[in-house]
Amino acid sequence: MVFLAFGALALGVLCGRLGSGLAAVDVLLSSSDLILNLLMVSVGVGIGMQRGIVRKICQYHLKALVIPLGVTVGSILGGAACSLVTGYPLAEGVSIAGCMGWYSLGGVTIGALSGGVYGGVAFLSNLMREMLSFFCIPLLARYLGPAACIAAAGATSEDTTLPMMMKYTNEESVVLSVLNGATCSALVPVLISLSYQLLG
Amino acid sequence: MLTMALMCLGAVVGRFVLPHWWARANSRVQLVLTVLLIFTMGVSIGRNEDLLHNLGTIGLDSALFCLIPMAVSIALAHLLAKRVFGAGEGAGEGEGE
Repeated sequence: MVFLAFGALALGVLCGRLGSGLAAVDVLLSSSDLILNLLMVSVGVGIGMQRGIVRKICQYHLKALVIPLGVTVGSILGGAACSLVTGYPLAEGVSIAGCMGWYSLGGVTIGALSGGVYGGVAFLSNLMREMLSFFCIPLLARYLGPAACIAAAGATSEDTTLPMMMKYTNEESVVLSVLNGATCSALVPVLISLSYQLLG
Repeated sequence: MLTMALMCLGAVVGRFVLPHWWARANSRVQLVLTVLLIFTMGVSIGRNEDLLHNLGTIGLDSALFCLIPMAVSIALAHLLAKRVFGAGEGAGEGEGE
C-alpha cells in the first residue's frame, strides 16, 4: 500500500507539472470532494461490518479503550507541541497529528480546509508515521510491549500494520490492535472537525 | 459534519444492509478511492509552485509532526496499558518474537 501511495503521489505530481492540458486529470481533480465522500461511506461500511467489535469491547470491560485513549491524547498533545515548535496554528497542528497515520484522508481533508501546504504536511507526516511504525514494530514489541506497537501504528493498526502485529505480538494484542484501529479511524474525522471548530 | 454523517450512513449500511462477503469488495473500493485521492493530491501539489519551492521546509515539519505525536502516543499508551492491564496480562507485555 505504501508503495502504491508513493506511486500515485509521484504520478499525480508529474501530471500536475505537465499543466492543465489533460482533461481526464482535470475532471478527476474537480471530483476530489465526491471521491472523499465516497471514501467516507466506504470507511463507515467497513466499521459497520466489523460485527464483533462491540461484543469484544464489552468482554474487556472498556479496558480495551485504554490504548486508543492513549494514542488519541498523545497525538493531540504531540500536535500541540509541534504547533509551538513550527509556529503552525493550533487547529492545523492538532488536526495534522490527529490523523494518527491516516495520511490519505488527512492530506485531502486538511488540504481542502487550510490549503495545499498544510495538506502536504498532513499527508507526508502521516505517511511517515505509517512507514516508521511498520519498521519499528519489531523493536517496540521487544523492548516496550504490544501496547507501544499499537500506539505507534495509530489508526493504521487495523489494516496496513496488522500483519506486523500478527508476527511480533500475541493474538490478544491483535484483537486490541483491530479495536484500536477502528476506534482511531472513527475518531479521525471527529478530531479534525472538532479542532477546527474549537481551536480555529 | 458531512463526512461524519456519511461515515455513520456507511456504518448503518454495512451493519444492516450489505452481506458479509461484501467486506472484501469494500476494502478494494477503499483502495481504489484512496489511490485516486492521493493522485489528485499529487496533481494539486504539482500545480502548486509555492508548495514545491517550500518542499524542504515541509519535509522537516512533516518529520516533526510524525515523530513527536508518535513518541507521545507510545509513551502514554504504554504507561496506561501497564497500569490497566498489568505486567504479563493483555497488551501490557507481549510475547514478541
